[in-house]
Amino acid sequence: MSLSDPIFYAYLLVILAGFLPTDVFRFAAVLFSRRINEDSEALIFVRAVATALLAGVIARLVLAPSGDLAGVPLWLRLATIAAGVAAYFLFRKSVFAGVIVAEIAIIGGAILFR
Amino acid sequence: MSQAFNCRDIPVTEQTETGAPTPEEAPHVWFWRGVRAAVLSVQGVVLFASFIGFGGLIRDVGFPLGAALLSTLVIWALPAQLILVGGFAAGSPIAVIALAVGLSSVRFFPLVASVMPMIRGKSGLGTQLLASHYVAVSAWVESIRLMPAIPVEARMPFFFGLSNVFVLGSAVATLVGYLLAGTLPQALVNGLVFLTPIVFLLQLVRNARDSVDWLALGFGLILAPVFAQFGGAYELLWIGLIGGGAAYGIGRWRRTRA
Repeated sequence: MSLSDPIFYAYLLVILAGFLPTDVFRFAAVLFSRRINEDSEALIFVRAVATALLAGVIARLVLAPSGDLAGVPLWLRLATIAAGVAAYFLFRKSVFAGVIVAEIAIIGGAILFR
Repeated sequence: MSQAFNCRDIPVTEQTETGAPTPEEAPHVWFWRGVRAAVLSVQGVVLFASFIGFGGLIRDVGFPLGAALLSTLVIWALPAQLILVGGFAAGSPIAVIALAVGLSSVRFFPLVASVMPMIRGKSGLGTQLLASHYVAVSAWVESIRLMPAIPVEARMPFFFGLSNVFVLGSAVATLVGYLLAGTLPQALVNGLVFLTPIVFLLQLVRNARDSVDWLALGFGLILAPVFAQFGGAYELLWIGLIGGGAAYGIGRWRRTRA
């Protein structure tokens, strides 16, 4: 059991870098939930940072996937995202429709082009 | 999407049918009504699909299954879990991952603060702290929608029924995704792994309320390939702070000018 053991390290990561920094905000909200203004400047800033962070993670998953998805050509991954977003808007902002169309695109594309 | 389960499906009061008024029904009755509400919820379907994708993804990046299941139970925030797994795959230092996860989880503060006064009733602090752990976007959305039709004292047991189905169902979905990724043909595995980015991207698009949200989303997407070149260990944080900071700054500048 050491930090160099990737399995042990993953568990450690979940507790120290996942559980603690997440639930500290949930617990703090219970303790200090007198009057929280959802439109305060600090929360607008944090929301923007969190959105950009998550967008960055999504972009990385698509542009530089680390596993089997790397075998799918980049243009197909980008075309899949474009198809999903287009379907989302075409079907009156339906997340479900966007996901279905994207899945058809990536699975069909993977069968044909990889 | 949110219409599939209607508050009217729950028999809120049974006084009228039984004749004798039953002002306080047993908490376990309301717990099971919460379970039923979760099972019938469309929000739950999207949630479980996302976690199936997460299960497929972690197998693809080589994150251990046990740690991933634990993350679903104790973190219970898919964006935070995604950032954590992404940081693990990129070899980011643990403090950087913790900071990035913390930044993404600050949003629970207003979520919990807004739902807790609604559900707490006369429950003690310990119960409220436990309940707060179950608050995530899914349970929050369904609570805000369903709670007004439920008697105040019944809300906490109802919430625990609802949110436990979401959490445990998501843990099962994580496992299912992981197992599927090991057995399905390659093209279907690719589809499974792709669930995560497409579901999250579309949810970010759907949740974008104002120009700050749109700018933060766009900057995050654009900055990711830039920082992949020279961001190093702090890549994620730079994307968040620079992309989000710029979006906030532009939004504030436009507000003060208007």
